[in-house]
Amino acid sequence: MTAILKRVALTLVLLFASSFAVFAAIRLSGGDVTAARLPASATAADRELFLQQVGLDQPIVRQYFTYLGNMFRGDLGNSLTNNASISALAVDKMRNSLILGAAALVLVFAIGIPLGLVAALRRNSWVDTGITSFSVAGMAIPNFWLALILIYIFAIQFQVLPAAGQGGWRYLVLPSVVLAAEGVALTVRMTRSAVLDTLGNDFVRTLRAAGLSNRRIYLKHVLRNSLLPIVSLAGLRVGQIVGYALVVEVIFGWPGVGQTLVNAVLRRDYPVVQFFALVLVVVVTLGNLAASIGYTLVNPRLRK
Amino acid sequence: MSSDTDPIVDPGTSGTTPVEHATDARTPLLEIDDLRVGVKGDNVAYDIVRGVSLSLYDNEILAVVGESGCGKSLTALSVLALHQSPPLHITGGAIRYRGVDLTTLSAAEMRALRGAEISMIFQDPMSALDPMFTVGSLLTSAVRAHRKASKAEARNAALEALADAGIEDPRRRFDEYPFQLSGGVSQRVMIALALVNDPSVIIADEPTTALDVTVQAQILERLRMLKEERKMGIMLITHNLGVVAAVADRTAVMYLGEVVETGSAQDVLAVPHHPYTNGLLAAVPRLNSKVADLKPVMGRVPQPQEITAGCAFRDRCERALDRCATEHPVLAPRHRTSVRCHNPVD
Amino acid sequence: MSGFRRARKNKQLMAGAAVGAFVVLLGIFGPMIFGDYAAQDLFNGHKPVGTPGHFFGTDALGRDLAARATYGIRISLLVAIAVTALAVVFGTAIGMIAGYVKGTLDGFISFLIDFIWGFPLILVAVLAAASIGSGLLPVILAVAFVNTVAIARVVRGEVLAISEKDFVVAARAGGYSTLRIISRHIAPNVIPVALVLSSYYVAVAIIAEAALSFVGLGAQPPLPSLGQMVSDGRNYMRINVWESTIPGIIIFLMVLSVSLIGDGLRDLLDPRLRTAVERTSAK
Repeated sequence: MTAILKRVALTLVLLFASSFAVFAAIRLSGGDVTAARLPASATAADRELFLQQVGLDQPIVRQYFTYLGNMFRGDLGNSLTNNASISALAVDKMRNSLILGAAALVLVFAIGIPLGLVAALRRNSWVDTGITSFSVAGMAIPNFWLALILIYIFAIQFQVLPAAGQGGWRYLVLPSVVLAAEGVALTVRMTRSAVLDTLGNDFVRTLRAAGLSNRRIYLKHVLRNSLLPIVSLAGLRVGQIVGYALVVEVIFGWPGVGQTLVNAVLRRDYPVVQFFALVLVVVVTLGNLAASIGYTLVNPRLRK
Repeated sequence: MSSDTDPIVDPGTSGTTPVEHATDARTPLLEIDDLRVGVKGDNVAYDIVRGVSLSLYDNEILAVVGESGCGKSLTALSVLALHQSPPLHITGGAIRYRGVDLTTLSAAEMRALRGAEISMIFQDPMSALDPMFTVGSLLTSAVRAHRKASKAEARNAALEALADAGIEDPRRRFDEYPFQLSGGVSQRVMIALALVNDPSVIIADEPTTALDVTVQAQILERLRMLKEERKMGIMLITHNLGVVAAVADRTAVMYLGEVVETGSAQDVLAVPHHPYTNGLLAAVPRLNSKVADLKPVMGRVPQPQEITAGCAFRDRCERALDRCATEHPVLAPRHRTSVRCHNPVD
Repeated sequence: MSGFRRARKNKQLMAGAAVGAFVVLLGIFGPMIFGDYAAQDLFNGHKPVGTPGHFFGTDALGRDLAARATYGIRISLLVAIAVTALAVVFGTAIGMIAGYVKGTLDGFISFLIDFIWGFPLILVAVLAAASIGSGLLPVILAVAFVNTVAIARVVRGEVLAISEKDFVVAARAGGYSTLRIISRHIAPNVIPVALVLSSYYVAVAIIAEAALSFVGLGAQPPLPSLGQMVSDGRNYMRINVWESTIPGIIIFLMVLSVSLIGDGLRDLLDPRLRTAVERTSAK
C-alpha cells in the first residue's frame, strides 16, 4: 500500500516536470507570436505592449503557473487559426479519443491474450504456426498502411464499413482495429511465451495430480500466473495506443486529440498544440501509473 | 515403524516368498505389472523403465530406492499419467488399481481418479504450489474438482485436511499465500492437498529431499501416522536409505529401470544380497565408521540407450561372472528377499 | 531438439538477411536505374504497374513510382542509420556510466530512463516537430532520443550484472583504473547486446519515419519518403491501388527483415541476454 502511495506521489512530480518540459519546449520555440497575432504594420512598441498584455514577457516558470491556473479555471486560450476557444472543443475531442482508445485497448487484450494462450497450448501445431506468423506480420506491417488495406477491402471493395468519419459503431470498427493491431501482435507474442514459461512450472503438475480439469488449470491458474508480465507492460500498450492515435485519427478523419494535435502542429497553432500535447503526456503518465498499480494488485507478494 | 509392527500383513517377511507375492492372500491396492516407460521420438526409441513390477498394499509404506536416473520417479509419475508426454510413453505392462488397469483409462476417467483415489506429493514444495492462490483456494479447488460442495463444506474439508497434515493453525494458513510459508509448512500443505479428497493411495516423490533435516523427520512421521490411522498405502520414492530405514515397511531397490532387490525394509537393509544394494549401504556414512571405510559405488551409470543384453550392473560390479554379460538375471527369491543377480552376496 | 531449433532460428536470420540485402540493393541501385524521382509528366499520371518506361507505374503528377520508391528506401535507411548510430553510442555510454557508478547518479539516471521509456515514440516525435518544425531532423532527433533511453536501460542492467562477475572484481582489486576496466572488461561484454538490440530499433526508426512522413511531419516534398508516398497514394486507391501499395510493401519488407534478423540474433545469444532483449523488444 505504501508502495502505491509512493508511486502516486512520484507520478505527480513527474507530471509537473514533464508538463513543464513540454510547455517550455513549445512556448520557447513557438516562433514570433506577435507576427501571428498582430498586423504587419505594428511597431516595436506595439509588440512589447502586446507581449505584456498576454503575459509573454514574464519568466517561463511564471508563465507555466499562470497557464496552469487559467487551465483549472477552464480558460485554455484561443486557436490562432480560427480564434475558437480551445476549452470549447477540448471536451469533444477528448471524449472521441477516449472512445477510440478504450475500444483499441479492449481489443488488444481481448484478442491478444486468448490467441496467445491458444498458441501456447497448441504449440508447434498449425494453429500455433498460424497465430505466430500472424503476430510477426502484425508487428512488421506499418499501421497506416494496414489502415489503407482495410479501407480498400472493407470500404471500397465490399463497402460494408465507412472509410472515415464519425457516427455509430460502424465508424469505430476500422480505426480501433488498426490502432490495436500492433498491440494485439505484441500481446499474442508475450502471452504465448509467458504461458509456455508457466506451463513448465512444477505447480501445474501438482494441480493435475489433485485432479483439476485442464480447462480449470489453464484458464484459472496458468493464465493468472502468465498475466503478470502482460500487466506490467500494459502501460506501454496505453502509450503505444496514444502514439499511434496521432496517425490513425488522421487517416480515418476521427475528430480526436491526435488529429487535432497533428493538424495544429502542421499549422503552427501553438496554443492548441500546447494543450493537446499536455493532455497526451498526462494520459501516458497516468497509463503507466495505472499499470504499475495493477501489477501490484495482481501480485500477491506485493499486495501483502 | 518397522515391518514387525504388523506381523499378520507383512508379506516381505513371510519366509522365502518371492517379491511378486504369489502366495500372498491379500490383493494389492496398486499393482504395477511389468511396466515399461520409454522415449519414443522421430528417430529414437528406448525404455527408461524396463519391466518394473511392484505391489502396494493398504496400511503399508513401500519405499522405492535408487540413484537419480534409475526410473523411480518416472515409475511413480506414470501411475497417474503425469509423465511428460511426448516424448515419454508407457510402452508396455499394466498398472492396476483395485483391479482396474489405469493405462487404459480415458483422460476424464484418469482425472477423476487423481487426488480422489491416488494422490501425489512432490519434491520441492516451494515451487509445487501455485504462487498466485491462497492455500485455502488451492485446497477448495481440489475438493470441488471431485464433488459438488458448498463453499462452507469445501472450506471445512480443507481445514480438516490441513489439521490432518499436521498444520498447527489451519485457519491462519488457509488465507496465506505459498510465499508466506516455510518449506516444512509448504510440504504439509502439499500433504493436505493430497489428503483432502481422502484417497487410498499416496505416492510421495522425494517428499523430504528439499527440506531441513529436522523437518524431514517430522514429515516422515506424519506420513507414517497417516498410514496407520487411515490404513493407506503409501509409495515413497527416495534416494535416501535413511528414509527407508526410518519409515518403510517394504522396499524395492531400483537400478537402471529395473527392480534389483526387494523385500521387507528390515531384511533388505540388514542382509542385502544384490551387490548394488550392498554398495549403496557401504556408501552410507555411519557415526561409528571412519571416512576411509565409506565405499562409493564405483563407475558411472550407463545411459538407457547403452543398455545391452546381460546384467545392467555388470560393468560396475566386483562380483560379475561371465554369464552376467550374456544372460539377463531374473528376480528370484533368496533367503528373505528377492534379488536379480547371478552371483548374489550372502 | 535444440539442434533443430537452432537451425530454424538461423533460417530466420538468413531469411531476414536476404530480404534486407534485396531492399538495400534496390535503394542503392534503384535511383540510378529509374532516373529522376521529381520529374513530372502531368499527362501521364496514374499509369499502372508495368507501363513501358515506368516499371511500377506513375503517381498523380506522372512521377516515376520506381524512382521515387527506391529513393525513398535511401531516406528510410539514412534515418535508420543515423538514429541507430546515435542511439547505440549514447545509449551504451549512458547505460555503462549509470550501471558502473551506481549510487545517486545512477538512481537519477535510471529514474529518468524509466520515465521516458514509458513514452510513445510518435508522441515524442510530434512534440519535437512542434518545437523545431517539420522535417527529417526532428524525426531523427526524437527517435534517437527515445532509442537511446531504451538501449541505456538494457545496457545498464547488463553492466550491473557483469560488474558482479569475478573477472571484473579481480580487475578492480588489482588496482586497474576505472576507465581501463570499463573499456577492457565491461564494454566488450555489453556492446554485443547493444548491437542486437539496435536491430530492433532500426525497425522502430523506419516505422516512425514513415508514420511521421505519412501525416506530413517528416520528410518534406519534393523528397519522396515512403510514408509520404503511401499518404499521397491513398487518395487514388480507386484509380490505382499500387501508388500506396508499393511503398507500403517496401516498408513492410524492411521492417520484416530487421525483425527477423533481430529474432535470429537474439536466439544465438545466451538465455540470460535473451530475456533482457525480449523484455525490451516487447515494447
